[in-house]
Amino acid sequence: MSIDTITLEILKNHARAAAESMAFTLYRTAHATFVKETEDFTTGLTTPAGETYATPIELGATWFVGLNYGPVIRAIPHYDEGDICITNDPYSGFVCTHSPDIHIWKPIFHEGEIVSFSVGHIHHTDMGGAVPASLSRSLTEVHQEGIRIPPTKIMTKGVVNQQVLDILMANVRAPEQSWGDLKAQIASCNTGERKVREMIAKFGVATFKQGIEDLLGYAEAQARAIVRRIPDGAYQFADYMDEDAVDGKPCRLNLMMTVKDGSLHFDFTGSDPQLESSLNIPTGGDERHTLLCVGLVYALYSLDPTLFLNSGIARILSSTLPKGTMINPQFPAAVGMRTLSAKRLQGVILGAFARALPGEMPAASASGGPIMNVNTTDNRTGRRLMAAINPMVGGAGGRAMEDGADGSGANQGFLKNTPVEINEAEVPLRFERYGLAKDSGGPGKHRGGLGTEMKFEVFAPNTRVTARNRDRTVFAGWGMRGGRVGANSAFWLNPGSNRAFNLRNTDIVKVGPGDVVYVACGGASGYGDPLERDPRKVALDVRRGYVSADKAREDYGVVIVDGAVDAAATASLRKERKAESQKGEPAIFDYGAARDAHEAIWTEKSYATLTKLLAAQPVHWRFYLKHRVFDAIAALPDGERKGDGSDVARIFAKLIEEFPQLAAQAAE
Amino acid sequence: MTYRVGVDIGGTFTDFCVLGETSGDIKTLKVLSQPDKPGAEVIEGLKELERRYGIPPADISYFTHGTTVGVNTVIQRRGVPLALFTTEGFEDVLEVARLKMPDPYDLFSRRPESLSPRERVFGIRERVLADGKIDTPADAESVIRAIDRAQADGAQAIVVAFLHSYVNAANERRVRDLIRERSPEMSITLSSEVWPVIREYERTVTATVAGYVQARVANYLSTWQAALKEAGVACEPMITKSNGGVMRAELGKTAPIQMLLSGTASGVIGASRIAAQTGVSSVLSFDVGGTSADVAIIHDGKPAFGTGERVGDFQIHIPTVSVSSIGAGGGSIARVDEFNVLKVGPESAGSNPGPACYGRGGANATITDAYAVCGFLGSGDLGYGAVTLDLNRAHEVVGEVAGKLGMGVEAAAEAIIKVSVSGMFLEISKLFSRHGADPRHFALLPFGGAGPMTACLLARDLGLERIIVPPTPGVLAAFGGLVADIRNDFIRTAFVDLDKAGLTSLKGHAADLAQQARTWLTEEQKFKGHARLQYSADMRYRGQSYEIEVPLQEAWIETGNLQAVGNAFHAEHERVYEHADAKAPVQIVNLRLVVSGASPQPKVKRAELMRRAATPVAETRVFYDGAHVSAGIYDRDKLVPGERFAGPAIVRQSDCTTCLVGGFRATVDEFSNLIITRDASAS
Repeated sequence: MSIDTITLEILKNHARAAAESMAFTLYRTAHATFVKETEDFTTGLTTPAGETYATPIELGATWFVGLNYGPVIRAIPHYDEGDICITNDPYSGFVCTHSPDIHIWKPIFHEGEIVSFSVGHIHHTDMGGAVPASLSRSLTEVHQEGIRIPPTKIMTKGVVNQQVLDILMANVRAPEQSWGDLKAQIASCNTGERKVREMIAKFGVATFKQGIEDLLGYAEAQARAIVRRIPDGAYQFADYMDEDAVDGKPCRLNLMMTVKDGSLHFDFTGSDPQLESSLNIPTGGDERHTLLCVGLVYALYSLDPTLFLNSGIARILSSTLPKGTMINPQFPAAVGMRTLSAKRLQGVILGAFARALPGEMPAASASGGPIMNVNTTDNRTGRRLMAAINPMVGGAGGRAMEDGADGSGANQGFLKNTPVEINEAEVPLRFERYGLAKDSGGPGKHRGGLGTEMKFEVFAPNTRVTARNRDRTVFAGWGMRGGRVGANSAFWLNPGSNRAFNLRNTDIVKVGPGDVVYVACGGASGYGDPLERDPRKVALDVRRGYVSADKAREDYGVVIVDGAVDAAATASLRKERKAESQKGEPAIFDYGAARDAHEAIWTEKSYATLTKLLAAQPVHWRFYLKHRVFDAIAALPDGERKGDGSDVARIFAKLIEEFPQLAAQAAE
Repeated sequence: MTYRVGVDIGGTFTDFCVLGETSGDIKTLKVLSQPDKPGAEVIEGLKELERRYGIPPADISYFTHGTTVGVNTVIQRRGVPLALFTTEGFEDVLEVARLKMPDPYDLFSRRPESLSPRERVFGIRERVLADGKIDTPADAESVIRAIDRAQADGAQAIVVAFLHSYVNAANERRVRDLIRERSPEMSITLSSEVWPVIREYERTVTATVAGYVQARVANYLSTWQAALKEAGVACEPMITKSNGGVMRAELGKTAPIQMLLSGTASGVIGASRIAAQTGVSSVLSFDVGGTSADVAIIHDGKPAFGTGERVGDFQIHIPTVSVSSIGAGGGSIARVDEFNVLKVGPESAGSNPGPACYGRGGANATITDAYAVCGFLGSGDLGYGAVTLDLNRAHEVVGEVAGKLGMGVEAAAEAIIKVSVSGMFLEISKLFSRHGADPRHFALLPFGGAGPMTACLLARDLGLERIIVPPTPGVLAAFGGLVADIRNDFIRTAFVDLDKAGLTSLKGHAADLAQQARTWLTEEQKFKGHARLQYSADMRYRGQSYEIEVPLQEAWIETGNLQAVGNAFHAEHERVYEHADAKAPVQIVNLRLVVSGASPQPKVKRAELMRRAATPVAETRVFYDGAHVSAGIYDRDKLVPGERFAGPAIVRQSDCTTCLVGGFRATVDEFSNLIITRDASAS
């Protein structure tokens, strides 16, 4: 039985008002900079079973639309009115996805029956553990990532559970701030409870209970209608992180997306084994896990912005998440830096959608820029200062109808920067440049959006520059239909001087007075043949400083003289170029030279063989074995690699010989 | 007798509100706006005032005026071709902005094209440091090169916005001198003179909007001043400002940015004045027109101020009465989606063609059509006889929606109304949550053409007990301009710790600001009365990335009273965020000063109350809450202070209709406001 669609639309507005009010309450009363600056929090209302039926869209992270609190709700055997529960354990129910995220949920009773939960999380500043802020790529076990609270009551019948709170506060580095943030979360849940009561008073409890189920059904129906625009079939997409650990090997995420009559299946077979770094994505094998839904929600919402955002969308999804892989790591694998890998995961899903709907989806968005922090000393006061100076992001990919947005956009559009003037007033740094990186946008008929770049000078010794989530130094994104990849990201110390040093994917670097740090996010990729780009647009890009005259000629075949297009020279150059590249229809994707080179060695077949062989080995061996195989393949002389999987099989067999304990396991 | 006249020029109508200086009588008038002939509608209105009410222009002793010419220049992109000079290395300041995109869930979200396109942005070799030290003076050669290129590219105005110019504007001023020398015709805007505050993107985008509209607004004001003079208005005209104040029209020519949002601001000022009359301190100002509803919170009798208010595609960062715009108005269109769900707005039929029932070619069912079908509209004329309602047309278009929904036409009309109200409920709930305020402690003050029509249903959803409908809801912005004070804002970025040294430097800043403010008030504004100075500071705990504004007493700054300043901050932080930390180090980012001079306050008539039941002029049938019921029709200008009546009822007046549903009752107060209250039993 459903409620009528008029009441549904009215209930929808009231439910969203409730979720937004919860978000404003939390945002207003929270302490953490994560809340105020990057809005790394969420609030929401769920059904008694835990499905999120209303989520805020004006404030908060864009990642938690599909969140299902069911597993943690069920972990508590009994609820009383006034109870509030918390967890930050990535391995208890897989609602929390790394330890700094404290999730809380509060049952809302009506005449003795739970009718809804109000829920939410904040990324807390610190949860204790090996490093401040509890996050580092180098960590290998979740135990190093701070204290873990499995699902438990922080309030019982309205009274704080002091013992739990004391244990928590004794373990974190900023207890006052954490308690302040927890109070903000509690206030937000109480706001949600009040709003649910108002809805029950307005609509009646029967209509409310049915209505919130119908809201999930409505989002599901909308999502199915969008997916029905995709022809039934299987669509593969893979992408890489440069490293699977600090100074590691390339790290692959592979997806086969199957579409059938409005339903989706994500099969991640072929993704890399569980990592000995904190880049694992803790899905717990939940085939509708919220981190799987991020890319899905981006794709569906962009295809139809009237989509009502709630976890009904997740109902169209099923998944295969092989155990012991980076997408379904086994306890106690570290997961703290899943932000970076989750971004690649979004990309892989958007890539599969792009293969399915190449006329509608964009080329790769910019990626690889870090969140930058500086820890330095003010020479005037001697005071040690810590500042979040900027998230380095970039633009959106080109698409069939237009260029990508420059500087920011696509799946990074929720981050905010810090003004240069604020940075310089607060921290003894001097900025030489903050802006769009010339020539970083992937060439195309519709150009990829430019990345941002930043350059600053440091004045005090023992200054530490942290660059979290660096990637794309090696691999780039993907251009579409003749469009090409955007530029790689960059991280340099003293560029252009005789002290120049390429920091590549370094997380943290110690610098001193006189040092200049340069960092750039990669650019987004282009769409369509750059030789077909309107020469006037190319000329405008040159005048705007977005594209150099050299690249205009090289990439676009456009000759610019004194800022204007030389039409005759352009026509003949383009003709020449066209003749060179005349090889029929371009492939859907261009992955750039680095990935092409990698895949010339690490072919689809080689990966398939490795995936199969690793799957048969114990989880704790897989990462090691992968590295050994990679080293051995790299050591082969160029002419001796067959690329049909036989090299991998031969090397693997030798490894099994080397480690008899594995042979025994494999035989079992 | 002499008269005070307030005029508000909107997209469709130009509103007049006239107050007799000695009688306290209020008269109103609406004439059609003439966007292509600036000043023409004012002249026409003046003629009409004389014809209709016998008020000759010579008897006008005070004249205020608000215009949308600046805002429309931005929305329609009709400003002058603009060039922007930035510090070298930071030419992309407008393109990068603050990164966050308008809709972060949408992969295709984009920022609007800048007013100064990137090819006309020129980096100048110059540098000022955060402490105000000049590291590199403006390099004349790079400036000359930029001027020549800007000119060659057709720029007619140049905006100069350098890093840290809020603390030292010497380089910006030096560049202005160079431009004047090289290109005397060029209009020049310095970011340090528009609003000298830290944060380069915000300061730069505000300066570009200022530079973009300057020529057009100045031109408009000159034409209009001349027309007014010719018509025989002898007093010096004033213009309304976004900060809710007024200033001499002459000053608008150099500070056009300050008047961009004056229309919505004046409405809120009018609303707060009405609220003060009725003794209510917390009200929600609710101004509904054809395409949007503008809502604002008035707390303790004072409107909320903010920066970052929206002008077309851009946010401008100067002190402005804080107004949230909701995409729901009388012209919002109803449609049925593929899942049979009814949606209302944000698409709007606007004022042209307008709702279908206006008979001007509108083909879609709008909120106004729904009210007409339910019987709330149509028994009188609308908009001073400019519009007659075509009820059949309303039935036709709502009937189409009803057909898709498989329900009766009146039920569909009511559904449209309820869905639209729930959309407003959503946005207004967010506004209250943002302010941490409880709507149940607020009264609703509806105005504009469609506000009083929707008020009861919205109040019911929000849990508001009381509605105040002013005597002239259609011209409240014009009324607001009439009663507004002279007002101007000053700011100085201090960026100091709250300690002895910090407070000492604050003292110097305060004296400078006071000097600036007094000079402005007496020399530029030519005001002779008493000046009120109110200081405040933007403060935060060290490590926070945002500030809150804290009112400060002059004496605290004078005497270096650290304790008092600190306590004021902790208390305000507690009020806004519900926590404070008396031990944490505090920073003062900006010092602000508001200078105001009271305008001569009009005497408003206060009538004896005739305590009796009002007699309806007619009865009609209306449909709501699923049933047909009988409703009394009342004419607003026949209602006498002290008269009362109960809903369902319809109150007609020349420019709007007030709808009362069952469970609400109304009485007329001594200032002719309609006070509507909700019965305790009604939910």
